[in-house]
Amino acid sequence: MDYRQCATRTTLIVMLVTATVVVCQTRKEFRYTVGPHASVSVVNQYGPITVTPAPGNQVVVTAVLHSDKVEIDQSQSANRVELISHLLPGSTSDSGRVDYEVLVPPDASVSLHSSTGPLRAEKLHGDVTLEGATANVDVHDISNAHVHVKTLDGPVILSNISDGHVEITSISGNVTLDEVSGPLVQVSSNSGKILYTGDFGSGGEYSLMSHTGDIDANVASYASFDVIARSIKGRVENDFLLGPKHTPFAIKAGSAFAGTLNKAASSVKLSSFSGKIHLRKRQP
Amino acid sequence: MNCAEFQQVLPGTEKGGRSAEQELHLQSCSVCSDLVSDLDFIVREARTLQASEEPSPQVWQSIQAEIAELRSELDLIAREARALQASEEPSPAVWKSIQAEIGDWQTEMASIAAQARELQASHEPSPRVWNSLEIALREEGLIRQPQRETVPMSSRRWRLGWLVPVATAALVAFGVLLYRPTVVNQGEVAQSASPRVFHTNNQVSVKDDQELLNAVGTRSPAMRVAYENDLRDVNAYIRDAEQSAAADPNDEEVQQYLMDAYQQKNMVYQMALDRSLP
Repeated sequence: MDYRQCATRTTLIVMLVTATVVVCQTRKEFRYTVGPHASVSVVNQYGPITVTPAPGNQVVVTAVLHSDKVEIDQSQSANRVELISHLLPGSTSDSGRVDYEVLVPPDASVSLHSSTGPLRAEKLHGDVTLEGATANVDVHDISNAHVHVKTLDGPVILSNISDGHVEITSISGNVTLDEVSGPLVQVSSNSGKILYTGDFGSGGEYSLMSHTGDIDANVASYASFDVIARSIKGRVENDFLLGPKHTPFAIKAGSAFAGTLNKAASSVKLSSFSGKIHLRKRQP
Repeated sequence: MNCAEFQQVLPGTEKGGRSAEQELHLQSCSVCSDLVSDLDFIVREARTLQASEEPSPQVWQSIQAEIAELRSELDLIAREARALQASEEPSPAVWKSIQAEIGDWQTEMASIAAQARELQASHEPSPRVWNSLEIALREEGLIRQPQRETVPMSSRRWRLGWLVPVATAALVAFGVLLYRPTVVNQGEVAQSASPRVFHTNNQVSVKDDQELLNAVGTRSPAMRVAYENDLRDVNAYIRDAEQSAAADPNDEEVQQYLMDAYQQKNMVYQMALDRSLP
């Protein structure tokens, strides 16, 4: 009997708390008509931002405000749409949180800033710029576009990026690239790990660089690239049988290797100061 | 004569018009003497106040305008009455209505005159009176000088905005100066000049970092730890790259590490001072 009473009370309290939280939230929707290659910028101190494509020429922003301690400043100037979460005095990371869902035309350029994130963008072919301190970043299915990502601690995951001009900098967040290719793919990490899975495309420049973070590249055996890998104080490993390649520095076994595979269409540079580098052959 | 008898006849007496008996009582009674002196003071002040509280020119102008308007209306009525009289002799009813109209106007003019007198009596004190009041209140400390506006947080935050370009320029210049490969006396340069420059720059960097962390901590205490850890990582990267570059100044690869480390630090500074992030 006591157990049932306790369970009933707990359920009521949970329902009450949930109802209170729901009542405190405010949902707002903004619609903007834009032309081709519109530019959409969302700056949100606390909370997620998700951007997905939608047919037509409208930008539709749905924002859920978690309290009245935050408001949204929004504007449209010609083809440029800008939304900023405006924190009011006394706001915290909870009360200042806003959840954004943004629908944009597929060719729109998107710039997202959030300290806590997460930040997500998918299926676009306009430029994507994402910046967040501790924000998790997830970008996938982007083609023929610039993808620029900056985080401090937030992990970065990019997948299915083709013909991309990719630049990623993260201090301690892990960076995972899955099937990412393009004319330029550049990753700079400090202590975060870099994991690349793919084939290095056909004719791009790839630079994966870290301070103490390990670098793992899982590459298909049919891939075509030349590679220079070097760790000043860490170890390097290579699973491929590479052709010879000239290097500007003396190759020291265990700390550097260089070579070519197939027709060497792409240029790959794997550099770590004290992290471990491993060029793996991806299992079919 | 006692006090009650003196005070009964007091309203009807003036200085110099009192009887010998009244004067005698006044000299012998301090209560009645004080009362008389108070009344004299009030009378003097009332005269002064009346003289100084003349209504403003606007009040007189509005009264004159009102009177002029009434006068013109009365003139109009008189002209009409004369014209009427000239054309045909009006009936007694017409004369009565004209007299009633004039009576109304006279009543209204009397009312306006009374209002003017009230206005004169109750008119707001002159600026001189307000000034003396303000001076008295200021001396009592009840009026204070308005405080200067405090600098808003956002502008205080932006005071550190200059750190980004300055720190970046200093760091990059330091890297270029210190590790540019030279043919002549490379070892000497590395051993003598470089350590001194590094020492100074390192001190500046630590100070800048601390200011940056303080700025971040002010805005968002929770983020301070994250930035502190990242700055520590980045500074370690810079230190490692600097030492490697000093050991082998001709290694281009190592110089790229150094540039990468500086760029990472630049990014941390930019994100910390970004207006949009807490």
